[in-house]
Amino acid sequence: MAGILDVPKPRINCSMLSQFINRAVCFIGRVEKVHPTGKMFTVMDGEGKTATVELNEPLEEELSGIVEVIGMVSNKGEIMASTYNLLREDKGVPFDLELYNEALKVIHDFPQHYPFQVAASG
Amino acid sequence: MASLSTGAIEALANGSGWNEAVLQLVNIRKIDGGSGPSRFRVMMSDGRHTLSSFMLSTQLNYMAEENLLVPNCVCVLKRQVTNMLKDGRRVVIILEIDVIKPADASGKIGDPVPYSDGQSRGPQPAPVPESRPPLQPQNRNEAVVRNLKRDFAKKIPSALPDTPGGSSKIVPIASLNPYQSKWTIRARVTNKSSIRTWSNARGEGKLFSMEIVDESGEIRVTGFNQEVDKFFSLIEVGKVYYISKGSLKIANKQYTSVKNDYEMTLNGESTVIPCEDSCDVPMVQCDFVPIGDLENREKDAIVDVIGVCKSVDELTRLTTKSNREVSKRTLSLMDMSGKLVTVTLWGEEAEKFDGSGQPIVAIKSAKLSDFGGRSLSASFSSTMMINPDIPEAYKLRGWFDKEGHAMEGQSLTEVRGAGGRLSENWKSLADVKSEHLGHGDKADYYSCIATIVFLRKENCLYQACPTQDCNKKVVDQQNGMFRCEKCDKEFPNFKYRLILSANIADYADNQWVTCFQDSAEAILGQNAAYLGQLKDSNESAFDEIFQQANFNTFIFRNRVKLETYNDESRIKATVMDVKPVDHREYSKRLIMNIRSMGAK
Repeated sequence: MAGILDVPKPRINCSMLSQFINRAVCFIGRVEKVHPTGKMFTVMDGEGKTATVELNEPLEEELSGIVEVIGMVSNKGEIMASTYNLLREDKGVPFDLELYNEALKVIHDFPQHYPFQVAASG
Repeated sequence: MASLSTGAIEALANGSGWNEAVLQLVNIRKIDGGSGPSRFRVMMSDGRHTLSSFMLSTQLNYMAEENLLVPNCVCVLKRQVTNMLKDGRRVVIILEIDVIKPADASGKIGDPVPYSDGQSRGPQPAPVPESRPPLQPQNRNEAVVRNLKRDFAKKIPSALPDTPGGSSKIVPIASLNPYQSKWTIRARVTNKSSIRTWSNARGEGKLFSMEIVDESGEIRVTGFNQEVDKFFSLIEVGKVYYISKGSLKIANKQYTSVKNDYEMTLNGESTVIPCEDSCDVPMVQCDFVPIGDLENREKDAIVDVIGVCKSVDELTRLTTKSNREVSKRTLSLMDMSGKLVTVTLWGEEAEKFDGSGQPIVAIKSAKLSDFGGRSLSASFSSTMMINPDIPEAYKLRGWFDKEGHAMEGQSLTEVRGAGGRLSENWKSLADVKSEHLGHGDKADYYSCIATIVFLRKENCLYQACPTQDCNKKVVDQQNGMFRCEKCDKEFPNFKYRLILSANIADYADNQWVTCFQDSAEAILGQNAAYLGQLKDSNESAFDEIFQQANFNTFIFRNRVKLETYNDESRIKATVMDVKPVDHREYSKRLIMNIRSMGAK
């Protein structure tokens, strides 16, 4: 877990999963279905595509709404979550997932203006 | 052939009355009611006399409108009521009438002559016996009398009798000039301003102005001081008046779109008399400019426009440069050119405007601005009409219902940024300086997102006049009383008001700004009265408020203007409005800007 926190974690959506296999990423999406075992759930991104998130331990709470997941992308394109973070819907301004997706696209289209890698190193 | 009730006309005219009179309708004429329903005036004959002082009661208007009552038809007057006018003449109001023989079945029966009841009323239109000067007396009866005795001519060439003075003829507005003083016009008031007062070194005064129109044209009229007292309350917009003996001078075209080389001032000799019969006077004179043509007009031009109100925005309130609060509303107007323009309404007009049902809106003397490309504003001298009863309005309605409603239209007023409202003009604080905003003749307005980096808490509060709407600083008389020079009164108290000097910054630059009451209270999160109290009683709590307010980020709407004090020119920036950042709107705007920059 400590390892993942030191590394830059690019924000991605489903279309970018295949480009980040075996890399640490940050994924925001809306919880769709939780597997009965509680160790897996699906999330939908701002484009309407779905990804699968796997957890080390089963969920101890009800998960719904928008969640931010940090983890590694597996060979199969699933996110092996190290940690997750629920964005509360009852407080503040509601999170606009489509707008977030637009911002994601900007970040990836203009990497020269968003040098996150540089910021995290040394 | 039906036989008419001979003698009935005389009886009805002199008040004796006649039941079930059989009369032939000679003529029927519609009289435009202005703001009320139309009225129909009827001339009836009993074969011996004709009388034109019959009026159809409004519930029978349908009979006229459906052509049931036409010249030469024979009718039975079943119910009527006779009203007496101030001058002794009678008007017969027809409450119930049956047509017993249609018009084509009978020609004119008999050879009736107009009834005159023996006084000095001859067949000519001059009813009043005594010879009097042309139209000068403020005798309202004259106007009414004239109506009744008038012939059924379509135009009213000279509604006044030819008396020895001779100069009492009605002249067209288009013929008015400064070289003739004895004239009378008959015109409808299309726009009346409120009373405005002034007070300067030379004294005080008040004035009001109005625009009037007749068949020949229009003209602007102003009344000062005593004329305000004499005429202001008498004059109502939409009504028709006889006006005489105003003074004419060359017009100052800057403030109005009224097409006339001259404008009129009411003076001590001027008279204004209401006119009852106003059907021939047009409602308004407008020279509408197609919205598509507005691009070709110069900014600050005064124009008349008409269009469908495609959409209307919410009412907002702003603070003006003189620190007053004013209501504002924008609407989008579209016409057959397929173009849209944004119109701004102010004050009461903005508050009262109802854009539901996409009404036809016509504005006379709207001000064209180059804001956002091209946009319009209804100033205090503009007249706005909703669904006016003019042919252009009907044409627009027809067009809109058929095709216009489906059109998107192209707006002449740029909408900046996704969800950006018209008034926003986003700049970075460096842009404001590099683009020299505020250096022109007029102030410039811009919006920016900036963070407060410094607040000056010294001298942020001043003691103001406690009278509502008066914010002038009061002078402490040192005896427990405070004097307001503007109200010219002394008070035992005052109200605290804020003038806050702040420095705001964004990624590009910083800017010193002044915040008045509302924006200062929004930034500090406390009202002025409480702050004043705190300053005197609890200094550390007072300081704490400023600490908390520092480094907050807001959307500022600022006004900048170059001001000169004693040979020194400085840019002064004032905060007109401050709002919390709407991150979604901000993000959308940034994404849009990035994409458009990326595309280049």
